[in-house]
Parts: sequence; structure tokens; C-alpha cells
Amino acid sequence: MSGELPVDIQVPSGPRRAVRGVTGKLLQLWRARELLAQLVRKELKVRYKNSALGFLWSMLTPVLMTGVFSLVFTLIAPIEVPNYPAFFISGYLLWQFFQNSCQGAIHSIVGNGDLVKKVYFPREALPLSHVFAQLVHLLLALAVLSPYLIYTRGIGVLLYLPITLAAIALLTVFASGMAMWFAGVNVVFRDLQELFVVIFQVWFYATPVLYPLALVSDVLGDDRFARFAWLETLLAINPTTWFVELFRTGLYGPVTATSDGLVDGPPGWPDLATVGGAAGWAVLALVIGYVVFLRRARTFAKEV
Amino acid sequence: MAQASHDVGGRSEEPGERRVERNDRRTLGQIAGIELDPSKPAIVAESLTETFRLFHEQPGGLKERLYRFRRASFTDFNALEDVSFAIEHGESVAVIGHNGSGKSTLLKLLARILPPDEGTVTTNGRLATLLELGAGFHGDLTGRENIYLNGAILGLSRGDIDDRFDEIVDFAGIRHLLDTAVRTYSSGLYVRLGFAIAVTVDPDILLVDEVLAVGDAEFQQRSLERMQTFRDSGKTFVLVSHDMDAVRQMCDRTIVLDRGRVAFDGPVSEGVELYRQRVASGAVVAAPRRSDARKVRIEDAALLAADGAPVTEVLPSSALTLRVRLHALDPIDACNVAVTVLRGDGTHLYEVHTIWQGLGVGPLDPGQEATVDVRFVAHLLAGRYSMAVSVTDTSGRETWAVMADAVRFAVQPAPGSAGLVDLSATASVSEGPARRLGDSSSSGPIPLPRLARRRARG
Repeated sequence: MSGELPVDIQVPSGPRRAVRGVTGKLLQLWRARELLAQLVRKELKVRYKNSALGFLWSMLTPVLMTGVFSLVFTLIAPIEVPNYPAFFISGYLLWQFFQNSCQGAIHSIVGNGDLVKKVYFPREALPLSHVFAQLVHLLLALAVLSPYLIYTRGIGVLLYLPITLAAIALLTVFASGMAMWFAGVNVVFRDLQELFVVIFQVWFYATPVLYPLALVSDVLGDDRFARFAWLETLLAINPTTWFVELFRTGLYGPVTATSDGLVDGPPGWPDLATVGGAAGWAVLALVIGYVVFLRRARTFAKEV
Repeated sequence: MAQASHDVGGRSEEPGERRVERNDRRTLGQIAGIELDPSKPAIVAESLTETFRLFHEQPGGLKERLYRFRRASFTDFNALEDVSFAIEHGESVAVIGHNGSGKSTLLKLLARILPPDEGTVTTNGRLATLLELGAGFHGDLTGRENIYLNGAILGLSRGDIDDRFDEIVDFAGIRHLLDTAVRTYSSGLYVRLGFAIAVTVDPDILLVDEVLAVGDAEFQQRSLERMQTFRDSGKTFVLVSHDMDAVRQMCDRTIVLDRGRVAFDGPVSEGVELYRQRVASGAVVAAPRRSDARKVRIEDAALLAADGAPVTEVLPSSALTLRVRLHALDPIDACNVAVTVLRGDGTHLYEVHTIWQGLGVGPLDPGQEATVDVRFVAHLLAGRYSMAVSVTDTSGRETWAVMADAVRFAVQPAPGSAGLVDLSATASVSEGPARRLGDSSSSGPIPLPRLARRRARG
């Protein structure tokens, strides 16, 4: 019969191939949403061990840290910020989300070597599942702690909720990029995970979580510390500074330095520069992280 | 691909219109290569090469990379070299070869787990891989949760799994354990659950790597039946296995890989036979070694043909003589000479002792020599074989001399039959009509002209 079709096994080349590649990749990502959802569910279930108490356990770290840092920075080495615990927690929650996302993601490919070697699936689902599991955890923690924040910082916390959520959304994008970068690079450079603890320790102190950004500019304004002026630049370059500042604006309020010391305002709108800075870093990290990850991902099955 | 033609013929019964329409307006899924496009082969592999870099020291990480920047020492080796083939829809193909011949690498390339270093793989249709069962199970999650998780890893949506949930649970037989953490499952149960999930994926192309050999006999039978159902429903099936019975049962085409290259691509009986011979020849045991004798020394052992000339290559069922020369070191009253015939892979085929036939060698004075002839007919088919000789006392308690790999010989492939043992069968039709189609040299399992060519190539 004439319907015998010629067997065409030519590989499309040039633009056709590129279009096909992109379509395929996007389709795969779309199909992988189910997998991502299941992996996030797994992370949460394993973490909370299917019990309410499990969630309480995971709240232990932020609560303890808040307690310890509040003691240190109100009694021993005072940072004169009103409601230091509220100030601290409104930065620390975000930081913890970021750090835990990256920490989970960095092992995600190496730790799932069997899976990576034996099954084909979009590999980005592994690091991303850690980010989204941590996101769920952040939202839960925020819900639990919000009464305290509303009590100390006023109803503005609720009014400016969109700002808080926008900051979380932007950091999620940023953390996704970073998580993929860490996961991908760690496959080749296994000692990255040893360095990780140190990197994040330094990064934590280089981010205005413990102290307000305004205090740094204030202190460095003093002529005696002129040679530390680069610190301010460092803080401004640090991407996480932007996210923490944005998050804190909606949850705690802006802190400014005056001649009388630090002055806090109620939660309010952030200035556009902060939003822009955070958004810029988020997009940049996602693009670089994803590209590096995809390039690396081709050979994961060999290297894991 | 002559053997693919019957499939094309089978499909041509479909209304032509529909096929043309499908070809003209391809769906997004077809363009992306994840939906079946019947106008193209299921799998096309074109000159695939996969190189693995073996580092002599493990490249630990950043630190090492920095201070031994240019000194990383490694060797590249090609797990696959220039492998090309096309598999049509509905074919069932077995990939066989030694360990390390590149089978699993090939499967990983087809499954897109690894990208080819050179060449392209094009697959057409929904593809599922059974490389490892239960990969991705999490021990702390329950059976129910793991079904959803593993299903998602294999590309099933929640709805898909909801629909097939009961089927999976019943097939694995874990209904009473659904809400127990899989960490407490037995390993057999674990694998059964993995298999049950994997086969519900219902792909157009299924790649299977040696996973049929798990579980108890009953489960093996069920999984084999499942595979056969799959194959019989016209889906494409690629199996990597060492189990030649499974290969014969499941597949109608074999690709034999040898050190990363396609050594053979064709009908299953021929491929299996070729593989069997290669296995036998590839694994010949260690080089000849003479052990120090205590009371006697085996001077020499030789394999002689019927005319008395030494031989190393014989035809099936040749009459042979093993001639063993002994040299006594101490006075011996009587001794026993034992001869063992081994297949190339070490399988014990035959053993004979002179004492079993009531024959002792001796008495011998120190320095005196004796020659023992063991005559036999090698009812063997193509492959490589070796013989071991030992000398013991008459009770068999003391071994006085051993020559492990005394002689080696090969049996040449011969037309007319295949297998291990030459049973010298002849066939006849005692009732009903029969036709002579040619002699065994052209219609045997491996036609002689092809044998000659292969031999010429080395």
C-alpha cells in the first residue's frame, strides 16, 4: 500500500533543533511539577515525621536562636533596637529559609546518586524540592510567630503582608538559583559541602540579620573607622542584604540612625531601590544557577 | 533491518488517512519526542560513543584541583564506540554481551540518563526504564506514599496513580502493609513494589536491565508474563540480560556488544549462540603452570588427533587422545592418573580416573618414565575447553602431581546444531510430507559463509 511512509531519521538541525530543545525542556519541566510536588511532600513528611510535634521540633531552632541572640545583644553587647527579639526573628526566619534550602540542595544530587544513575527525570527537581519544602516551612513558621510580631509591631504587619510575601517570593527565586548552583557544583567539587558551613557562617554575619543596616553606616561614618569603609560596600553588594531589608520593612519596619541613636518606624512600604535590587539579584541568580546546573546535569549520571 | 519488516507490514493495515494526517500535523508532544509518532522508528541510535574518564586518583575536589592543576592523571576508555542501530515499533530486542561490554551504558544513553559524547539518540514515544527497582523509595515513608513518590519519579501524574493504585497494590501483594514504612519491608517485597509501580507506567518503549532476576519464582513468572503481555501488545521492548533463556523467550532480535562495539545484530538464536561462544572463549582460565611433584612429575601432556598428530582445534565429536608422560621421582608401587575436562568458563564437564577403570600406573623406579593414553570422543560443540591432569595414590588421598591447564583445545563451530553437547541428532519426518531445503551448511544456526567471514576477520 502506498501509505508506506519513508523512515525519516534525520536529526533536525539549526533553529528547528533549538526550538525543539526548548519546547522539550519546557514540556519536561511542566511535566515535572508532579514530581516536584511529591518530592516536597516527601521532604516535609520525613522532616515532620507525620506528626504535629514534628513541626514544633523544627521551630525549636529559630526560637532558641532568638532567645540566645536576644540575651547577648540586649544585655551583654546591646544593640539599641526596640523589640530586639522581633527585630531578630524578622530577619532570621528569612535567613534560615535561605540557608536550609541551600544546605539541603547541596547534597541533593550526590545523596540521590542511585536515583540519578538509574532513572531519567529532570534533575532540577531535586534541589528545587528542598527550596520549596523550606518555603512551606517558612510560611508555617511565619504563621506561628505572626501573633507575636503583630503584638509587638502593630497591625501594620498584616497590612503590609504583600511586601512580606513579595520578599519571600523574590528570595525563593534567588534561593532556587543558588540551590541549583550549589547542587551542580558539588557533584564535581565534593569539598564544597565542607566549605559550605564556613561560607554560610561568614555570609550570616555579613548580612544585616543580627544588626540593622543603618547601624553599620552610622558606625562607619565615624572617622576612626574610615579604613573599614569597604564593609559598607560589601554589605551593599551582598544579595541577601536586599532580601532581608525588604522582608524586614514589611514585618518589623524601617530602622534609621539619628543623633539620638537608632529609631524604628512601623511596618511600611519599601523604597523601589530595595525591591529592584532584590529582584535583580533574584533573576541573576536564577539564570546563572539554572544554566550552570543544566550544563553540569548532562553528566551527573557519570560523576555521582 | 529485515526483521523489522513484518512490523511495518502489520501496521499498514491501519487506515492510511489517519497516518498521513498524523504525519502532517504533529502534536507538541510528538515534536518534543515524548509522544508516539508512528511514522518514525521507535529508537534510532547513530554512531554513539561514550567515553569514561578514569582518574587514577579520585579527583577529591576544589582543593586538589587547585594545587595539582595540570597533573590530574587519567585514562579515557570508550564504553561504547560507534554504535548504530534502529529499532522499529513493536520490536523486542535483547542487548547481550560480557560484563563491561557497554550494555548498561547503552541503556542509559537510550534512557537519556547519560548524554552521548558523540552521536545521537532519537526516541519516539513515551519511554520508561526499569534499571533498578525501587530506586527513590524513601524508607521512612509508607508504602502508599512511596507509590506516589516513585510514580512521580517515573513520570506518572497523581491522577494516573490514583487510577492504577489498586492494580499496583494487588500486583505487589502489599495491601496489608500499605501504611507501614517501607524500611520494614523485606527486600523481596521492596523489589516487588518497585516492579509493580514501574510496569504501570505503560510506556510505548520499555527498557529493562537485568531486573527480571529478582523475587521468588512465582513473582518472576508473573513479571515475565507481564513483560510478555507488554511485548505482545505491540510495544517496543529492549532487554539487557545475561539470562539467555529469558532472552530467547522474550526477544526476537539481539544486539551483541563486545568491548563497546556491535559485534552482531540479528535474529535471537544466532546472537545467543555467538554470545555463548564468546563467553566460553573469553574466560579461559589461567596460563599453564606446573606444580612441583613430590613423588612423580608430569613431564608433558599432549592432545592428539586420531592420526597421532597434536591438535588444538577439532571438529565436534572427534576422536582424541590425551597423552600424559610421567617421570617417577621416588619408587612408586602404583598411581592413579585423573583427567578433568573443563569448559572455558571453568564449568566441570567430565572427569575420569584410571583407577575407576581398574588401571594403576606402576610400579615405577626413580627416574623411570611412563606414558598414559586417555582416549575419548569429544562430544562437544563450538567453544574453548581445557583439560587438567593430576596424579594421586591409588586411594586418592595423596596428590603427587597436578597440571592444572595441561592442554587447551577449541571445538570449531559446525553447522547443523547449536548448544553445548553434541547429541548427534538427526531429524526425519515419519508421517506427512517433507522437503529438503538445503544441507546443514546453508540452513544451520550460523550459515557457513558467514562463519568463514567472521573467522577471516579474526
